[in-house]
Amino acid sequence: MENTDRKSDRQDLLQIVYGDVTLGVHGNCEGEEFHYLFSYAAGGMESLVSGGMEWMYRPPRPCFWRAATDNDRGNGFTLKSGMWLAADQFIRCAKIDIFVDGEKIPFPSAPENNRYTDQEAASELEIVYTYETITVPSTQVEVSYKMNSHGAIQVKAHYYGKEGLPELPVFGMRFLMPTCADGFVYEGLSGETYPDRKAGGSHGVHEVQGLPVTPYLVPQECGMHMDTSWVEVRRSRTLDNRSVSRQKASLRFQAEEDSPFAFSCLPYTASELENAFHQEELPLPRRTVLCICGAVRGVGGIDSWGADVEPAYHIDAGQDIVYGFHVIPCRDR
Amino acid sequence: MCLFQKHMYRHKKIQQNFNRGNFMNADINWLDDPEVFRVNQLPAHSDHEFYVNMEEMKTGNNSLAQSLNGIWQFWYSENAMSRPVDFFRTDYDASDYDEISVPCHIEIAGYDKIHYINTMYPWEGHIYRRPAYSLDNSDAGKGMFSEAGYNPVGSYRKQFDLEEGLLGKRVHICFEGVEQAMYVWLNGFFVGYAEDSFTPSEFDLTPWLREKGNLLAVEVHKRSTAAFLEDQDFFRFFGIFRNVTLYAKPGMHVEDLWAKPKLHPDGSGSLSAELKISMEQGMSGRMELSLEDQEGKQLLGHEIPIPDDSSYTGSYAMEKQDLGPVIPWDIFQPHLYSLYIRLYDAEGQLVEVVSYRIGFCRVEIVDKVIRLNGKRLILNGVNRHEWSAEHGRCIGREEMEEDMQIILRNHINAVRTCHYPDQVPWYRLCDETGVCLMAEANLETHGSWQKMGEVEPSWNVPGSLPQWKEAVLDRIRTNFELFKNHPSVLFWSLGNESYAGDVLEAANAWLKAKDDSRLVHYEGVFRNRSYEDTISDVESRMYAPPADIRAYLEHDPKKPFILCEYMHDMGNSLGGMDSYMKLLEEYEMYQGGFIWDFIDQALLVKDGVTGRMVLRYGGDFDDRPSDYAFSGDGIIFADRTEKPAMQEVRYYYGKYR
Repeated sequence: MENTDRKSDRQDLLQIVYGDVTLGVHGNCEGEEFHYLFSYAAGGMESLVSGGMEWMYRPPRPCFWRAATDNDRGNGFTLKSGMWLAADQFIRCAKIDIFVDGEKIPFPSAPENNRYTDQEAASELEIVYTYETITVPSTQVEVSYKMNSHGAIQVKAHYYGKEGLPELPVFGMRFLMPTCADGFVYEGLSGETYPDRKAGGSHGVHEVQGLPVTPYLVPQECGMHMDTSWVEVRRSRTLDNRSVSRQKASLRFQAEEDSPFAFSCLPYTASELENAFHQEELPLPRRTVLCICGAVRGVGGIDSWGADVEPAYHIDAGQDIVYGFHVIPCRDR
Repeated sequence: MCLFQKHMYRHKKIQQNFNRGNFMNADINWLDDPEVFRVNQLPAHSDHEFYVNMEEMKTGNNSLAQSLNGIWQFWYSENAMSRPVDFFRTDYDASDYDEISVPCHIEIAGYDKIHYINTMYPWEGHIYRRPAYSLDNSDAGKGMFSEAGYNPVGSYRKQFDLEEGLLGKRVHICFEGVEQAMYVWLNGFFVGYAEDSFTPSEFDLTPWLREKGNLLAVEVHKRSTAAFLEDQDFFRFFGIFRNVTLYAKPGMHVEDLWAKPKLHPDGSGSLSAELKISMEQGMSGRMELSLEDQEGKQLLGHEIPIPDDSSYTGSYAMEKQDLGPVIPWDIFQPHLYSLYIRLYDAEGQLVEVVSYRIGFCRVEIVDKVIRLNGKRLILNGVNRHEWSAEHGRCIGREEMEEDMQIILRNHINAVRTCHYPDQVPWYRLCDETGVCLMAEANLETHGSWQKMGEVEPSWNVPGSLPQWKEAVLDRIRTNFELFKNHPSVLFWSLGNESYAGDVLEAANAWLKAKDDSRLVHYEGVFRNRSYEDTISDVESRMYAPPADIRAYLEHDPKKPFILCEYMHDMGNSLGGMDSYMKLLEEYEMYQGGFIWDFIDQALLVKDGVTGRMVLRYGGDFDDRPSDYAFSGDGIIFADRTEKPAMQEVRYYYGKYR
């Protein structure tokens, strides 16, 4: 590994590698290594290695779209808010800011990073990506990753409200993992829930095997879990060609105290679901798509040909949305 | 009203011809004539089972019944003009016929295209049609169905010998469900004609029956004028899709039973009954009625002599008998009593026994609130189509029982039989489990007045058209006669989305005159308020947003309010149920509703690309126009697994009991 010469007496600090294209962050927590790469070129967290395996297939992105439900189609929501489908697919990373131990540093691209060494460390590191949406008008989303020496990443996502933008179906962060998870465990409500359909969910710790897709006749938004305090994704498969024996690892996403999130953990992105007429047309499951959401639109139910979702369950795109959660590498199970 | 009588005449004339022994020939033009809908059919009657003795009743091995289900000979024709006209003859060579299972849908057997469509009539864009007499069309629909280029025909033949228990007795045949029009022959003789796909059609076969080598021939037409009345939002099928059974009648036979249990406000019960008994020539004897509670204790014994007055069928009545305190039939507390009717001949030999499980309940509107046994009724209901992903609407006992388990474990207390009568065992299951029913007749005509979401009734049927009145009333009567003894039936429903006019007004009046123990429901009057005082005991709507319900209930409401359809559970839906459930707390006159609907209607087929068995919906069979996945609105998937939304239903229906 590239950091074998890291000072052993600085295990309480994060080891930082000021690369030309990425910012490397390394450390260990109770003997367990973690390695993060924050890419300047790709505009996000390109790598998260914990439990001995890679967890990122592509950098996480803000998500703005859900595969249209039958009700979304019926009441014209797709026609009013379809702009967010494109915004969900394509986004520009406009700015990256880095804070070391609370201090903003000059952006460390070459040659600025020539002043660093192979012995850099910090007790806290924050990297903030600012994205610009392709909506008209455009707005911004700031995604900040703040790490402490134990490797826990505090993620904060801030959507800047903008007048003139249509209502959002969802706002969250989408994590694309390289392989299908074995399953996930979470503390929250049972079953598939939405803001306007969660009274029947019972609170508790629930374990889900595999990555079930709710088999609605026409594939659509599914698998949301409201009011979640944490979710742990379990994997045993990797794409690493060196892997000989299967090893199990899990990654935990923990809500801020008193601010539960919603999540869905599926083998498909919204656009993959959106493009199928039938379940059997969905691609073969290959990856894990975890969306940790700060705002979710209700599904509605009055009818499927015009009635809107009740006003309390809309997401006003003119208002800011700020939420956060922690990504916590866990030990092998 | 006098106009109606003239049109009643035509229907009666055909029937009278028959009764006089003028064995007429089948007339293909009946397909085009809304005034011909049953020819030589036996009158509708109660759905009681009958046995020769108690032993057979207990074991269920009924020697009087012979199932004709199974493999039949079959020929498919694209239209009536190309059908094999002589196929019913005994000397007809049917050696090149295919084989088909009875019951099943002809489309699922692979002969005709599977087609799903909602409100549009299924010929939309392919054939221009207006219902006979709906406009000033002078040809009155001549040839509309009998000469259509596309109007498939299934010609069925079945050979059978009589089983021992049927020999020497009067025998009738019961087709429990045939879509959509049917001609029947036995041994080369024309037996009769029937429409109304979802109720039993019965014919007396006695005059033509042999011990061995009988040839039954059934010609089923996909469409007739009945198609205008059966525009349900579902897959459009045809064929013999429910059981076919021969029944032998003992020398004396209960043709019809109308038990009228009454639950009085003081908790006591009484029972009266009306019966029709048919007899073979020269028979006489007596009838014994008894009522037993669940412990087998007899609460009532009553005898009525049956004189030999040589009439084929006689009417008998048991006047009101007071029973003292009874345990009511109630929601989820389905207390039933067993009524036995035993017929004895002059020598005192038991000839026939009938048992029926009846219940004592009282549904009424007091101060504009529906009350069951004195308590406010809350309908935590669901609309249920009969459905199987494999067999379409051709379902068996297994599916019914599974449906009932799902209903019970999710606290659903009411089912609307949308939009046709279900198979008889379903009503018994509801009696036994305490699930109440809105028993809907087979009527839906939304394609005739609802155009792209707008109300446009210029050619609505039945409307106020006298020529369509009897066909509709027949459906109402049959639904009533068949299910009148079921305690679970709290509401009669005139049908669905058929607008409102004089015909449905007459249907409402007929039911009110006949049965004062139940309420009449019809939603369509909401679309035509001029009938609101003469149609429907309840204000019923579908998919009304909570604010509209509030608006009705805040402005001097005339009737209690229910939603015959709400919470449209298409795909990922059923959000916002709370807003409806809260209305139950706010308004006594808001009494709940029926979720749309119970099960996704989709068909299991083999995917040509992956080889997997997959679920397909409208438009997946090259069927056009279609409403695609619009039939996937269930709270369970087509394979009967519960949708995620079910936990919401279970929660609210459990909370607001």
